[in-house]
Amino acid sequence: MGKAAVIGKDLSVGYTKGKLKKEILHELNFTLFPGEMTCLLGPNGVGKSTLVKAILGQLKPWSGSVHLSGKEIETYSNEELSKELSVVLTEPFLPGNMTVGQLVAMGRIPHTSWTGKLAEVDLQAVESALEATKITYLKDERLGEISDGQRQKAMIARALAQDGKVMVLDEPTAHLDLVNRFDIMHLLHDISKKQQKAILVVTHDLEIALETADKFWLLTCGLPMISGLPEDLVISGEINQLLPDDRFHFNKDRGRIESTISEFKFDISGPPEMVQWVKNALQKSGVSALDSSIRVVVDPFSIAYKGQIYRSVGEFVEGMKSRGC
Amino acid sequence: MSCIFINNSMKKNRPIILLSVALILLVLSFLLNVSLGSVSISPGEILNGIFTGEWAKASREQIILNYRVPKALVAILAGIGLSISGLQMQTFFRNPLAGPFVLGISSGAGLGVAILMLSGSAFGLVAFGGAINPWAIAIAGTLGASLVLVSVSLVAWRVRDSMTLLIVGLMFGSAVSSVISVLSYFSGAEALKLFTIWSMGSLGGLVWDQVWVLILVIMIGIIPVIASVKSYNGMLLGESYAKSMGINPDRLRWLMILSTGLLAGCITAFCGPIAFVGIAVPHVARMIWRTSDHRLLFPATAILGAILLLLCDAVAQLPGSAQTLPINAVTSLVGAPIVISLVLKKNFSKEF
Repeated sequence: MGKAAVIGKDLSVGYTKGKLKKEILHELNFTLFPGEMTCLLGPNGVGKSTLVKAILGQLKPWSGSVHLSGKEIETYSNEELSKELSVVLTEPFLPGNMTVGQLVAMGRIPHTSWTGKLAEVDLQAVESALEATKITYLKDERLGEISDGQRQKAMIARALAQDGKVMVLDEPTAHLDLVNRFDIMHLLHDISKKQQKAILVVTHDLEIALETADKFWLLTCGLPMISGLPEDLVISGEINQLLPDDRFHFNKDRGRIESTISEFKFDISGPPEMVQWVKNALQKSGVSALDSSIRVVVDPFSIAYKGQIYRSVGEFVEGMKSRGC
Repeated sequence: MSCIFINNSMKKNRPIILLSVALILLVLSFLLNVSLGSVSISPGEILNGIFTGEWAKASREQIILNYRVPKALVAILAGIGLSISGLQMQTFFRNPLAGPFVLGISSGAGLGVAILMLSGSAFGLVAFGGAINPWAIAIAGTLGASLVLVSVSLVAWRVRDSMTLLIVGLMFGSAVSSVISVLSYFSGAEALKLFTIWSMGSLGGLVWDQVWVLILVIMIGIIPVIASVKSYNGMLLGESYAKSMGINPDRLRWLMILSTGLLAGCITAFCGPIAFVGIAVPHVARMIWRTSDHRLLFPATAILGAILLLLCDAVAQLPGSAQTLPINAVTSLVGAPIVISLVLKKNFSKEF
């Protein structure tokens, strides 16, 4: 495990405002490995962005340290750091006039001379970054004329062209549609494997993160940061740290967050993957209890209840409501 | 196939072709500007005179060499300086409305000149016996601009946020303007008229010595720009991204303050405030060249700014009459419709 890209040791950081000192993160320990995609999850306001800033070297640690490739991050100059570490931030402003190719080429700024002229190496890096993100076809499109998902991929390509060992992405999938969310997270996972990058993604998409991340960092209020394999965190139940109160919990069977209040007991028989959806619909509709048992049949789909046959879940729920259950 | 090839090479060379066209236009505007005036002198005669030293009339040599050529040069210099200041500020502040005067530079120069011209009359003293030396005006303007610039810089040193700096600059500007208003209120009619005329701007009336000073200052002011082209490109994505790409926004901020202070401060001191050029020209350049790359935008805005001021000055001379209009009024009158039409044709905010 000697090849960690980023190591945090007893890191405490916070902000000072006048005489007020507000500590946001207390004695965190973490390690980021090359070839792995790590997802940082946690509720809003818990200090995820603060942690990211500390890793980017923009916030000075109050105590403890952050090491990048074995060297303390504060000893890096701005230029040196930019060759090791690249970012994708949430800032939405982009000049609409710029083409995707030009944007990606900006990733080469740390590597070019003072005029910013691209050498052969730089052009190659731009091409391969465009290829890795599968947006070569967009190269001459203007940023103002492509979709949000494409733009986000272009931003990732820019970070990739910067060619650091570490990439940090702050909510790269916010504002994107479902397909693009999966697409981008899979893309990042791919890149971490193929190019041996250490990738840290701040995200709120637990389900997509479960599917794609190699490691999870869970940051919760007042508790030490938990890190580990996502699957281990699920099995040990530590994933529930993300849900501080009792209203929700993580359902291990279904791999998603559910409402804890399920005092309703329904007696439903049939194939489990269908039973769960019928249950889901009943809970939402506010039907509290049913006296008789429900039977779900697969082919053709039907729900039998007290001798009645319903052809769809909607029909069934309506029927139950009209009974006044 | 060959058609596609031509298209591609056209696309690649488009910016260079446009730059060459602009340069040719610049030369033409220069000739037009020099040949028009109370007496019309043909461009051929001017070229002949400049290159061979033989003039049809001695008076024409006087007019051209000591009056019109310096004035046209000042127009070019002011156009270059103001539009480059504008481009720097728009990129640095990421604000399409930023111009060379947002840091209070022009108000500062105005204050210096106002104190020189008005205070004597406001405090009941006859300071310079009415006639004021143009060097004195330039020095007073430069001093005033530097004073405001230094105060803004002190604030800039404390605040680390460019938006705050923008607001502070605007506040400084209005505070200084109100001091000027107070001075104007208490000063006599004669002094007030002098000041009002200065504040309308004028490209003429500079002697060769002053033109050389202006050339020197503009050249010095452009050095920091050339040195930080790459940083300006990096700033397009905002300060955080710029930092992550190894650019030092604090250093860039100081270079920008230094450069715009020299360029806009000195031009305002010599020519009076010239509105509009600084804000509008960078936008026009962005629209014509369709690029955000500062390696192209800086030369493009400089040439466009020079062309615009030369043409505006040609209009201001009211060809055929001995009267001239104040340049500040003409730049806005001529420029505003051009920019409005460009903005309506294209999606302005998208281009920025």
